[in-house]
Amino acid sequence: MLNASRALKAGAILLLAAGILAFPSLAPNPYILSVGVLVLNYAALSTSWNFVGGFTGYISLGHGALAGLGAYGTGLLVAKGGLPPFLALFAGATLVAALAVPIGFAALRVRGASFVIVSISLVLILLLIFQSWASVTGGSRGLVVPRPFDLSRPEHHRVFYYLFAGLLALALLVWWLIDRSRFGLGLKSIREDEDKAEALGTATYAYKLIVFVVSAFFTALTGGLYALWFGDLDPVFQFSILTGSYLVLMALLGGVRQLFGPVVGAIIVGTALEYFKGAYGDTPLHLVATGLLLALVVLFMPDGVLPAVADLFKRFDRTQSSSIREVTASELRDERLKKAEGAAR
Amino acid sequence: MTSTLATTDLRKAFGGVTALDGATVEFQHGKVNALIGPNGSGKTTFFNCVTGMIKPDSGTVTYDGRDITGKAPHTIARHGMGRTFQLCRTFPRMTALENVLAAVPVGGLLAGLRGAKRRSEIDRAISWLTRLGIEHLAGSEARDMSWGQQKLLELAGVLMSEPETVLLDEPAGGVNPALLDRIGLLVRELNAEGRTFVIVEHNMDLVMSISDHIVVFDRGRPIASGPPSVIRTDEKVLGAYLGV
Repeated sequence: MLNASRALKAGAILLLAAGILAFPSLAPNPYILSVGVLVLNYAALSTSWNFVGGFTGYISLGHGALAGLGAYGTGLLVAKGGLPPFLALFAGATLVAALAVPIGFAALRVRGASFVIVSISLVLILLLIFQSWASVTGGSRGLVVPRPFDLSRPEHHRVFYYLFAGLLALALLVWWLIDRSRFGLGLKSIREDEDKAEALGTATYAYKLIVFVVSAFFTALTGGLYALWFGDLDPVFQFSILTGSYLVLMALLGGVRQLFGPVVGAIIVGTALEYFKGAYGDTPLHLVATGLLLALVVLFMPDGVLPAVADLFKRFDRTQSSSIREVTASELRDERLKKAEGAAR
Repeated sequence: MTSTLATTDLRKAFGGVTALDGATVEFQHGKVNALIGPNGSGKTTFFNCVTGMIKPDSGTVTYDGRDITGKAPHTIARHGMGRTFQLCRTFPRMTALENVLAAVPVGGLLAGLRGAKRRSEIDRAISWLTRLGIEHLAGSEARDMSWGQQKLLELAGVLMSEPETVLLDEPAGGVNPALLDRIGLLVRELNAEGRTFVIVEHNMDLVMSISDHIVVFDRGRPIASGPPSVIRTDEKVLGAYLGV
């Protein structure tokens, strides 16, 4: 059934996609373009985070570490292993996905606040390892990753802008596929009530572990692409709790139950972060501003921007009771009536 | 075989509190079984041990001749045992339809990638919702439904998984008399279709009217079992309830 709200939704998605694709041509200078790359990087990371956060409701602050592992994995495979950059990218992400099995095995045994703390400890442990193991990782001096293309700076940004956009599209596609699948329904039932889901026959632990590995793969892929783009890795930035917190903020702000929630959140928060950094320089004030933003979201839009906007539109569209559902009560009623008529004939 | 679900010498203690103290119970296959007893007599702990929600300290649970002691709840559910919870549990931010669809067993990883809202399964889900009289709420989120409606929804979800044996933990709790009659009737109907029931319940009118076989718990172990007519006059049962 094609209705006004669906058309509106499709229009909004097209507009978002067109805006993202047209951005490099509209960006006035390479700096703005590089902000665009950064925002897409955040969008891909946040969407990857949302495989765990959105479906299962497990809030991980440790996804920054998975991205860092992907970045270092790719960087080391290129710089020290001599692998071609994009082979290294996929090899690195696959390694991180494999590593996510034991990590998830341990971390997913606990729920709620305990899981959050375990995920933070992942970041801290890896930070220590990557700082101290200087002979391999370069330690605090950092790791220089050779550029994959011989391009001018603006061209380099432009190419990576589209690479990040492609990766984001892939992550969104997989999220959408899971969202509409039975596997996805099982994951969402874990988010709603894990014991109940288990009692209904859902293998909750296996479900969580699978989606955690998928999430880690996409997170590491994004981290690896960042390494190839930025070309310089420092453990302090790669294994930072801030990264994970930003991802959570973005996803929550946009709406974790929505496919495009994290993307919208990344555009808002990513732009704001860059603006705050510009406005307040190196002072920690940009963190204060970001913290305030998080507090406001949790207080006034606990479901995120997208559901808030959808509610607003629903108020104008009174033709049906529940426009965002796939099957509405009225549709079902119509269908039953049709069936009853068919049976009567 | 007359019994599908049985336990031997089931024991479970929480710290110093002994919840189950050597419970050996046999339920009758194809019948409506009731499990009654005063508050704190271990009924819910027994349920949780049988369905794998908690592991007993010792003793065994067998279902259909298989030892299922300490197995994961989802494994036990897939063996054909479905349960409801004492404080009815639904998925609050899912529609009633999704609540019921979430109970469809997923075969494997690839099968799991199939769409969750396939026509045939929606039809089956709607037919359960219809049977329980809440099909008009299919598109409503569970959190917007009343207590009674949520109880019916939870039952619809459990039935969607096509269990051979249904365990109901206090189906009459917080339910109005009209709905109570409907639940009682439904249990008898579903039993006539071949489903075994095990019901924990405090409402004696309901228990006496729908059960074929009653097991009475006191202090973590069964003190009597038999048909309603026998249980009604059993000295030990009266003693346990009246405290004499």
